[in-house]
Amino acid sequence: MIYRIDKLIHRYGGQTVLRVEDLGIARGSLIGLVGPNGSGKSTLLRLLALLESPSEGVIQFNRAGDQESARQARFQVTLLNQEPYLLKRSVLENVTYGLRVRGETALLRVRAEQALRWVGLEPERFLQRRWYELSGGEAQRVALAARLVLQPRVLLLDEPIANVDGDSAQRIQEAVLRARRQWGTTLVISSHDWYWLFEVCDTVLHLVKGRLIGSGVENIVPGPWERRPDGFWSKRLDDGQEIVLLGAPHEGAVAVIGSDQVAVAPGAEAAAVVQPDTIPQVRLTGTLSRLSLERATGFVFATVVVANQIMFTAKVSPEQLGGAPLYPGRRVTVSFPSAGKWLA
Amino acid sequence: MQYLIDGLITAIQLLLSGHPETYSAVAATLTVSSYAMLASLSIGIPLGFLLGYYDFPGKRAIRTLVDTCLAFPTVLIGLLVYAFISRRGPLGEFGLLFSLTAIAIGQTILALPVVIALTATAMESLDRQLRLTLLTLGARGRQLLWTSIWEARYGVLAATMNAYGRVLTEVGISMMVGGNIKWHTRTITTAIALETGKGEFAMGIALGLVLMSIAFLVNLALAVLRKRA
Repeated sequence: MIYRIDKLIHRYGGQTVLRVEDLGIARGSLIGLVGPNGSGKSTLLRLLALLESPSEGVIQFNRAGDQESARQARFQVTLLNQEPYLLKRSVLENVTYGLRVRGETALLRVRAEQALRWVGLEPERFLQRRWYELSGGEAQRVALAARLVLQPRVLLLDEPIANVDGDSAQRIQEAVLRARRQWGTTLVISSHDWYWLFEVCDTVLHLVKGRLIGSGVENIVPGPWERRPDGFWSKRLDDGQEIVLLGAPHEGAVAVIGSDQVAVAPGAEAAAVVQPDTIPQVRLTGTLSRLSLERATGFVFATVVVANQIMFTAKVSPEQLGGAPLYPGRRVTVSFPSAGKWLA
Repeated sequence: MQYLIDGLITAIQLLLSGHPETYSAVAATLTVSSYAMLASLSIGIPLGFLLGYYDFPGKRAIRTLVDTCLAFPTVLIGLLVYAFISRRGPLGEFGLLFSLTAIAIGQTILALPVVIALTATAMESLDRQLRLTLLTLGARGRQLLWTSIWEARYGVLAATMNAYGRVLTEVGISMMVGGNIKWHTRTITTAIALETGKGEFAMGIALGLVLMSIAFLVNLALAVLRKRA
C-alpha cells in the first residue's frame, strides 16, 4: 500500500467536509473519484498530496509517520488542479520549474521537449511561448507536462479534462495512462467523466457529502422528500412519476441506490431485480441514454434519463444485455428496491 | 516671461559646461536616493511579502498602520530623524547629523511604507492557485518566497517606481537632516529651493531639468525591464 487512511475527518471552519473511515491505495493502482460538486473530491486529493493535514485521523504515505510522510511526498507526489496555474514565464520555464526546485540542472530542455511530446504539444512551437499565448487546453497540457517531467510516484489529477477541448482531453488521458505504464505511477483521478473512469480505473470511489459511499456507480437521489401517510417517502418528478422509498431520516436526505440494485428492461415491462419480492419495487420509465463498459468486470453500465430530470445507472451483465434489445434512445423501465441507503 | 526663457537657456549652458556646483548636487541626490532605495527594497519587499501572503493575527492592524505611514509628511520624518541623530538624541554619538547618511536614513523611512504597502497589495492580488501549484511542484521556504515575488514582479516594480518618485522629489528630510551644505549635502531639491529663494532661476531650472531627466531615465529603464521580464 502506498497510502493508508485511517479514521480521517477534515474540517473547514468547524464544518466537516470529509470523513473517510478506512482506505488503502495500492502502489501502481489507478483510482477514480466520482461525486457531485462539493462532495470532497478536491479536499481528498489535497490531503493525499499531503499539502494539508487532516483535522483528525491519519494519512500514511509509504508507511511513514506524519512528518516523514510529508517529507517523502514533497518530491514523490504531485497534484494537477482543475484550473491550472502557469507561472508568468515561458512554457520551457514552466515545465522545468519542478526539476529546478529539486536541484536538477541536467538536460532540462531535452526533458521538457520530451514531456511536451507526451501531452501532444510540439516542442518547436510551444517551448518558447509565453504563458498568455496558450489556449485553456494547451495550458492544462503544459501544466500536466510540468508534472510528468518529474516522473512522480503518485500523480493526483483533479478534474483534468473538465474544462478542455476534446483533443486536449484525449491527449491528457493518454499521457496519464502512459505514466502508469512506463513508471508504475499510482494515479488518483477525480472526474465527472465517469464513463472514462470506469473504463480505465481499477477502482472507482464514490464521494457524496464528504463520505465515501462505495466503490462503484451509485445513484444519488437528492431530496426534498415528502412523507406519505403509509410511512413511505415520496419524491415526485416533473412528468408525474413518483419515487417512493422507505426510511428517509429527514426531508433533505440523499438516497443512494447501488447500480447493481437497479435493473433495466425494454419498454414498459418491469425488470426483475436482485431483491426478495417482499420489498416493494420502484418502477420508472425513461430513455436509455448511454451504454458503457466497466473494463475490470466486463459488465455494462446502462444510463437511463427519467423525466429529463434524473439519471439512473444500472449495472447489466453481458448475458442480460445479449437477451434484451437495449440501445440508446430506447424507452425502458428501471426498477429498484424501495429500501435504499440514506445519507443524512 | 523672458526671464524664464533666459533661465532655461542659461540652465542648458550650465549643464553642458559641466558646472561643478550643479553636478555636486546631482551626485549627492543620486548617492542618497540609491542607498535609500537599496535599503527600503531589501527590507520592504520581504516584509510586504509576509504582510500580503500570509494570514496572521493583527494583520489588519499592521496593514492600517503601514497605509497610514504612506501619508507621512517628509518634514515630520526629518524631525524624527533629527531628534534621534542630533547630539542630544539616542544616536547622537555617531555624528550623523548633516551627512548624506542622515538623508539616506530619512529617505529609507519615507520609502519603506510605500514598498511594503504596494508589495503587500501585489502579493494579495496573486492567484490563490499559485501557492498550491508551487507546493505541488515541491517548492518550499525560500523557493516559495522568491517565485511568488517574481510572479508579482510587475506590482513590485510599480512599488519601486512609486517609492523612487517620493525619494527623488522630497525636500523636507534633505533640508532638515542634511542641512543643505554646499559641496556636501546639497541635493537637487534643496538646491532648487535655495536658488529660487536667491532669485537664481537658471540654476533652479537646470537642476529641475536634471531631476526630471533622472526620473525619466529610471522609469524608462524599469519599463524596458518590465517588457523583458
